[in-house]
Amino acid sequence: MDKQLLQYKGSKQVMALVGVLTLGQAISIIIQALYLSKAITMMFQGSTWQAALPALLIFLAAHLMRNFFQWGKERLAYRFADQTALSLQQQLVEKTFELGPRSVGKHGSGNMITLILEGIPQFKTYVQLFIPRFLSMAIIPITLFFYVFMMDGLSGIILAVVLPILIVFLILLGYAAQRQMDAQLDTYKLLSRHFVDSLRGLVTLKYLGRSKAHEKAIENVSNKYRIATNRTLRVAFLSTFALDFFTSLSIAIIAVELGVRLINGNIGLEPALAILILAPDYFAPVRELGNDFHATMDGKEAGEEIRGILAEKTVDRKDLPTVPEWTANSEMKFEAIMKKADEDRVILKDLDFTVNGYQKVGIVGTSGAGKSTLIDLLSGFTQPSSGSISVDDIKVNHLSFPDWQNQLTYIPQHPTIFSTSVLENIRFYEPTATREEVAEAVRNAGLDDLIHSFPNGLDEKIGQAGRTLSGGEEQRIALARLLLQNRSILLFDEPTAHLDIETEHEIKQTMLPMLEEKLVFFATHRLHWMKEMDIIFVFEHGEIVEVGTHEALLEKPGAYTRLIEAQRRGIKG
Amino acid sequence: MKLFQAYIAPYLKKYKKAMIATILLGTLALLSAAMLTFTSGYLISSASLQPETILLLYVPIVAVRTFGLSRAVTHYLERLAGHNAVLKVLSEMRVKLYRMLEPQALMIRSRFQTGDLLGTLADDIEHLQDVYIRTIFPTVVGLCLFLYATIMLAFFDWIFALWIALCLGVFVFVYPFYSLYKLKKHQIDAKKQRSHLYRSLTDAIFGISDWMISGRKQEFVDGFMNDSKESHALETKLAYWNQSRAFQLQLLSGMILVMVGIWAGYSAEQGDIIPAYIAAFTLVTLPIIEGLIPLSHAIERIPAYEESLNRIEAIRKFVPEEVVFEKEIELSKQADIEIEYLSYRYEGEKNDAIYQLQLSIPHGQKLALLGKSGAGKSTLLQILQGAIEPTSGTVKVNGYAPILYGENIHNMVGVLNQKPYLFATTVENNIRLGNQHATTEEIQEVIRKVRLDDYINSLPDGLQTQMEETGQRFSGGERQRIALARILLQDTPIVILDEPTIGLDPVTESELVETILSTLQDKTIIWITHHLTGIEQMDKVLFLDKGQISMQGTHEELMAMNTRYQQLYLLDRG
Repeated sequence: MDKQLLQYKGSKQVMALVGVLTLGQAISIIIQALYLSKAITMMFQGSTWQAALPALLIFLAAHLMRNFFQWGKERLAYRFADQTALSLQQQLVEKTFELGPRSVGKHGSGNMITLILEGIPQFKTYVQLFIPRFLSMAIIPITLFFYVFMMDGLSGIILAVVLPILIVFLILLGYAAQRQMDAQLDTYKLLSRHFVDSLRGLVTLKYLGRSKAHEKAIENVSNKYRIATNRTLRVAFLSTFALDFFTSLSIAIIAVELGVRLINGNIGLEPALAILILAPDYFAPVRELGNDFHATMDGKEAGEEIRGILAEKTVDRKDLPTVPEWTANSEMKFEAIMKKADEDRVILKDLDFTVNGYQKVGIVGTSGAGKSTLIDLLSGFTQPSSGSISVDDIKVNHLSFPDWQNQLTYIPQHPTIFSTSVLENIRFYEPTATREEVAEAVRNAGLDDLIHSFPNGLDEKIGQAGRTLSGGEEQRIALARLLLQNRSILLFDEPTAHLDIETEHEIKQTMLPMLEEKLVFFATHRLHWMKEMDIIFVFEHGEIVEVGTHEALLEKPGAYTRLIEAQRRGIKG
Repeated sequence: MKLFQAYIAPYLKKYKKAMIATILLGTLALLSAAMLTFTSGYLISSASLQPETILLLYVPIVAVRTFGLSRAVTHYLERLAGHNAVLKVLSEMRVKLYRMLEPQALMIRSRFQTGDLLGTLADDIEHLQDVYIRTIFPTVVGLCLFLYATIMLAFFDWIFALWIALCLGVFVFVYPFYSLYKLKKHQIDAKKQRSHLYRSLTDAIFGISDWMISGRKQEFVDGFMNDSKESHALETKLAYWNQSRAFQLQLLSGMILVMVGIWAGYSAEQGDIIPAYIAAFTLVTLPIIEGLIPLSHAIERIPAYEESLNRIEAIRKFVPEEVVFEKEIELSKQADIEIEYLSYRYEGEKNDAIYQLQLSIPHGQKLALLGKSGAGKSTLLQILQGAIEPTSGTVKVNGYAPILYGENIHNMVGVLNQKPYLFATTVENNIRLGNQHATTEEIQEVIRKVRLDDYINSLPDGLQTQMEETGQRFSGGERQRIALARILLQDTPIVILDEPTIGLDPVTESELVETILSTLQDKTIIWITHHLTGIEQMDKVLFLDKGQISMQGTHEELMAMNTRYQQLYLLDRG
């Protein structure tokens, strides 16, 4: 019994109701068997069918009741499963968005999507089947056993002896299958991810001339996946086989045992028939539970995985800090901030700085020196491992709260282009903006010519399903987004490095006025931006090694001058 | 039906033996269950007549035991055989899907949404197993059982057998086809909603940072959950209908049992059958009907498969015809490129992406290609890789159009692109993609060349480190270097560098440019670049504008003569 099932809202009431219906069902089963055997016996002993008709009709009524109860049980369980699954799905989607892009990347976005859209229905199926099946197993065999035992002790004893053996088998094989699953879970994930991964990397494979040959890899991995699945299924099927085998055998034994005792006259035909009719129903719940075992196992697994993700530590939503709006007089302080990557690799350490008002902060350094991590901390995509941050003297442990994030604009190297129209893409952050306002932003972001070249203008579909944009065009979409918002803190993570210099120069002219009256963090390798910054943080190996203006830093040889030199070394002129 | 011919029938044929075995075993399993009940009923009734000796009942006793055992065994074997065959089919379907997508690789991003592809994979292919396990097998098995039961009964009373066949026909024909008709639209809607959910979720997950920062994430969650609730409501409707149908069918089966009972009683009265058969016939009714009930569910699922197959079919429609080449063009470690009057215009566009381009790139030349986005650089690359054919004019690599090389063009032209994809496997496997036969030493050598050796060897798992999705463990620069290592292993005479130094810091960039140029010394390099770092080491600098050459020459020539070039140079110097 999965104890978790009792934790969901309303599960106890549903269980109780289904339990009552199951009891009613058990009683109907007994009446049904009783009157069917009575009718058959009467006819067997020479009565006319008309004489047996009342008994047959009572049988029919009991049959109706039995299936009516079944219907009620399933409906109740379904409704409960559906509601539980929906609420779990909601939590999971919300959690995904709380975890943010970095954690989602770690879980694998394909994996998360599959879990939300496939795992949830699997879980639903599991709950929907498990509750009625489990209660049937708890109630029906016991009720039937008492009845059979009262009618005929020996048959009762056979039934009573076989069932525990069956259950032990069920549990043992369940464990075996579970072990099999556990051992293969990682392989499973890798294998199931392989195909999606291959499709997403198809272009690269093509460039490498490996796309044709990769077909073989897909076949191999697919085959491995098949074999792994087969192995698990075999264990699952074996458990069904054992159940089938034992129930069939015990029904056969009971039939033969009843036959022998009938010959000796130790039992009448009517009770013997009734017992024979009851025997399959006695075993049915266990068999059903076993049969559905592998159909529901993935649902149970999915449920556990979902709970695992839901239990992951994220920022406490209840106790979110609030900070005032950022103004010219605001101040933010980072004190002894450290950030560790998973395997205890420190990626940022001893981060101490203060920024205030509408400062423009340049962030430079070699790759992997910690620039992006600082941007992640500032945007709240990730939280520091230790240290403290204060905004206007309000101490906060991290910046992952709406009050802060709603003041930000974040422009990464590759901004997201949603598969929708240009219009919707641009007003993503300001959904209420008018067409005119969007058109204005388009003009100022240097997108006018491009948009005019589209047959549908602003309504042209872009993104995965629509027109592909160049890197520069994508960035201009992001700039147009920025223009539409009036947020006071701007985070740039290498926004122009991939633009050709002509375009970069043009965009720079557009961007510079946008940076006024804002707190700007600008992480880049394009050092010409640094002239526009009020202060520059130079990163090396996860630490800020130099702070100062462009001019001040140029004066003494150090990390910054090394960067400048490297760039000029490239251009020997 | 056409879809069935294309996607189901070939596999049924291919795995004919396994499929037939599954059906036979399935029928046997159901028959055993029925016969177990039948013989037990007979046995007990006969025994109650208290025959002289138990030996008279020897046959039914053995039969009871045999059927008891064979039910379990055949059921087990059926499932094993069925799943085994179906998993093989699925595995082949995945390959088939890949084979359809592969030729369109370079156009894929604009043609399909990744969300749809994920949907196709997880939903369509995986769910196709139900075609066999939940539809074909139970239907055929049910039909066999239906025929068997009717024929057996006909031996005793063919008129009653006809009547029962009619009644059972409700299970076998009426309900299945009624369900099919009633649920068709519902199911297609449900499927559509699910793929809509897939699409919107995929889009949102890839744009998760924007949803977070925009403060609109609750809006997305609410919108998504609303869609999801709608989809659930529809599924609930389907589930309730299923439950009601099960109830109705059970009721009907109770009535049939009563009819069989009355018939058996009456026949025994008339002396047509021996009384011991009353119990046998009456009791066997339920197990037989049990085998027929799943048919409704099996048949009603058909529209769902159609939907899946249609989607796969939609992808297949774009598969270009396989071009058969008269002869395989000899590959060489040398490659001269001749471009004459090359023009290219994209379908539906007003202007040429490339216009009357003339260019000769002798082997070993280092060419820098610059220009704004949309100037025609990418188009030129696509033509060089044989992905598209010139509208007019010619491009020749060693005298042959790239497209004539077929797949072999990738042994002539290597590409290091802007966003190289790193697969969710180890670093080593990613690098090895360049050359499957590379030794560990060669791999160590290339990571040394791209200056990643210190870093990779410092990782606990070294080359065996997993990339994680889209290589998040590695920074942008490190990812580029891993991809470069891959290209170095690939060893093609022409290497196209499609802005590979983007995102690298100046120090790393100038080092990497040096590395690239020194390791690729004896190769032709076409380097698309957006700024001027390292440009003076190139043999030729070429600016494209609107598909035409706007500036060309060596760095020195341009510096001396071209004022626009001088301006750009000063800008880049910072």
